[in-house]
Amino acid sequence: MMELAPIFTWIHDLLLSLGLGPTWTDLISQIGLAVLVFSLLCIVALFLVWWERKISAHIQQRYGPMMTGWHGVFQTIMDALKLIQKEDIVPAVADRQVFFWAPVIVFTCAFAAYIVIPFGKGLIVSDLNIGILYIIAITTFTIIGLLMAGWGSNNKYALLGGMRSAAQAVSYEVPLVLSIMGVVMVTGSMSMNDIVAAQSGWAGFRWNVIFQPLGFVIYVIAATAEANRTPFDLPEAEQELVAGFNIEYSGMKFAMFFLAEFVNMFTVSAIATTVFLGGWNGPFLPSWIWFLGKTLAMVFLFMLFRWTFPRLRVDQLMEFAWKVLLPLAFVNIIYVGVMSLWLKW
Amino acid sequence: MVEVVKQFASGIYNLLLGMFTSGKHLTRHAITVQYPKERWEVPERSRGMVVLLTDHETGRLNCTACLLCMRGCPSGAIDIEVEKDEKGKRHLKNFTVDFHLCCFCGLCEEACNFAAIKLSRKYEFPEYDKKDLIYDIQKLQAAGLDVPYEKPVRNKVEPKTPSAAPAAAGTPTADTPPPPPPPAAEGPTPTEAG
Amino acid sequence: MAEELRTEDMTVNMGPQHPSTHGVCRLVLTVDGEIIRDCVPVIGFLHRAIEKMCENRTYAQCIPLMDRFEYCTSMSCNWAFCLAAEKLGDIKVPERGEYLRVIMGELNRIASHLIFVGVTPMDCGALTPFLYTFRERERIMDLFEMTCGQRLTYNYIRVGGVAKDIPPEFIPKCREFLGIFEEKIRDYEKLLVDNPIWIARNKGIGIITPQLVYDYAISGPSARASGVNFDIRKNDPYSIYDLFDFDIPLGTNGDSYDRFNVRVNEMRQSARIVAQALDQLPDGEIRAKVPLKFKPNPGEVYSRIENSRGEMGVYLVSDGGPKPFRMRARGGSYNHLQAVPHIVKGLKIADLVAIFASMDIIMPEIDR
Repeated sequence: MMELAPIFTWIHDLLLSLGLGPTWTDLISQIGLAVLVFSLLCIVALFLVWWERKISAHIQQRYGPMMTGWHGVFQTIMDALKLIQKEDIVPAVADRQVFFWAPVIVFTCAFAAYIVIPFGKGLIVSDLNIGILYIIAITTFTIIGLLMAGWGSNNKYALLGGMRSAAQAVSYEVPLVLSIMGVVMVTGSMSMNDIVAAQSGWAGFRWNVIFQPLGFVIYVIAATAEANRTPFDLPEAEQELVAGFNIEYSGMKFAMFFLAEFVNMFTVSAIATTVFLGGWNGPFLPSWIWFLGKTLAMVFLFMLFRWTFPRLRVDQLMEFAWKVLLPLAFVNIIYVGVMSLWLKW
Repeated sequence: MVEVVKQFASGIYNLLLGMFTSGKHLTRHAITVQYPKERWEVPERSRGMVVLLTDHETGRLNCTACLLCMRGCPSGAIDIEVEKDEKGKRHLKNFTVDFHLCCFCGLCEEACNFAAIKLSRKYEFPEYDKKDLIYDIQKLQAAGLDVPYEKPVRNKVEPKTPSAAPAAAGTPTADTPPPPPPPAAEGPTPTEAG
Repeated sequence: MAEELRTEDMTVNMGPQHPSTHGVCRLVLTVDGEIIRDCVPVIGFLHRAIEKMCENRTYAQCIPLMDRFEYCTSMSCNWAFCLAAEKLGDIKVPERGEYLRVIMGELNRIASHLIFVGVTPMDCGALTPFLYTFRERERIMDLFEMTCGQRLTYNYIRVGGVAKDIPPEFIPKCREFLGIFEEKIRDYEKLLVDNPIWIARNKGIGIITPQLVYDYAISGPSARASGVNFDIRKNDPYSIYDLFDFDIPLGTNGDSYDRFNVRVNEMRQSARIVAQALDQLPDGEIRAKVPLKFKPNPGEVYSRIENSRGEMGVYLVSDGGPKPFRMRARGGSYNHLQAVPHIVKGLKIADLVAIFASMDIIMPEIDR
């Protein structure tokens, strides 16, 4: 079984032995890792698009993509190639600057979250001591991108979609943060590595979800809304708003939105894995396989949500966030506080 | 309070039930057909491309140019050119089916008493040029060569079969050649509105 | 300051190209944010002049046109037209012909309701039931294609009977379908009926009161969901519907949720009718002896049947010639669409989509 972390340590040591100073060595190895993570994430996003199509197809008793490669695995790559070739159409009445920067912001923020996610033992680009806070902050930036897309397109449907996404994100950010807060309270640290390390007991199965099931449920629901997935996919509800905020986008900009959506889904799954499902902890297999397996299981859950449930209405969405999820999140925090004082978790 | 908890629990249960249902289907086989690679057998009666049938013994078309199909066609897709020889016998000169207009209703096949025209099971005949969709007599005959059909016993054709042409001007019988058609103006010439 | 904070109503053109307008309907919405202040349906994008075209065609040639009158239930449209023509011509349909008509008509009703059951959740965001219902619909289409040769525009029912007898493999296949169908309906119900999100989206939304039903002449399942017990199959029986034992599912609230459930239960009843008809199917002629050049008596006639969307009526005027002098067809959707603006005012855009779907409005029937 192969752990990846020693390889990076080896490269780090090699650079160090070449006579570079520790600052430069750290910088180079971190940039290298970041590039690696970025390219891996691109592959993961492409894979997820294919996987979603396959899962949805098989739930609906279809085949899905079958033509390119084994069961159509290269379908997304071909689609991306096609989208790159396409003409980049900008509506004449669009606010060109806003219209241009919106997908860039969405795309960048979606990827930037991965700097602090531990993919395995020692596989982390930068172990910030405010890791969780950083992730929440950076994923919220996505909303600014969506709002810009909705406003900049100068399309009524897009505007409604952008407004919906802003309202939705603001509402669901609160229970999301509060549900994670329970874990932070127990761990006593916002660093992702510390959170994972705190769950390493019981041969790697001392998961936070066992102690805080309510927090996990709240997180999953809020995360579904954060990732704009059904039943909370109102910003792009195609039956109401045609395509929502990305209605005017075509070509590569559309592909950026599309990939960012799947990267976001992977992000929230990765956070769920790290915070609630024990991260990369696990026996026998290498740590990164555990991480990937748990994350993909979470992604599968989100996919099952999407292909089973109808969509909520916009006011019900708000009502649910403020009247149900938020009180439950407070209940969870009180519960965690009491239990950690009483049982000394 | 109990009611709220009960409602909440039943809601969760039903959400899980829905997810179980879609999960159950995930394990089943796909029912769709990968079309260009595999094709399914269309039923015997499937109404596809209109073809002209050839008598396998004589190698000549079954068509007697009685124009019943042309009159029965609701969309005016069929155009038949007839010429008379010096004895006054009618010969088929050209038979055109315009597949832009054809709505595959099958009324021409029902109108025909001589098994001359049939809606075959062929359903794939796209063309790059629209003009190629207007089939003339040669193309229709060639398309109909491999279409199986039952030749009607000519002596036993009833004068008025229930399934005969709805708007036939005259009923052809076996013994007499089909009567010359009345002037075209009399017949119900379907005209496309607009 | 107050002047700067002023908000403005926005006019949104929903359609003619919009994913959830079921055809090419244009809805001019005046929205305040997400709330609908006004809704004006604009129709006519699918106008094909079917009624005028029928005046230029013989009675038999009209039937393929009636296929396109409302393509989800072509059989019923054929049937309504033939029923009117038979009334004009005093034609008695043989018994087997009537049974075959009932079987086909009820299977077609199931097929049409399956589209509804698939499309309505899709408009609420659940895509999967759509594929499931179409899976079952394909089996009905197979039965139709086996019998008449087409999957959508059947041209099967003729003046005086039906065009072709059913093939021998039809009955076992139909029974097989009816056997599995109940289980499939339960699958749809598991996915939707008790789902809390579905209930939240549909219960109490788009309520049609019985008064509104009478005011707008809403018919069919949409009226029965409001508790108006009116089904032409029971109240004004045509064909041989008085021979069968079936119930009329009724709703109580007249909301989208009831409209959905009524249709789901109607599929069960239709399956019951088909099963009974298959059991009792007699031998004999399938088509009455209709003169080749069918010329009905001069006069006018209105005949109506219970289509899957409501009352489907055909008004025929004959001058004794081979072609109808005037043909006028009535589809239920036209009245349903008129009622929509009255229901949706003050609701959200998402509700409009759900209500529009739950009324089972289909555009070809409106634009003709």
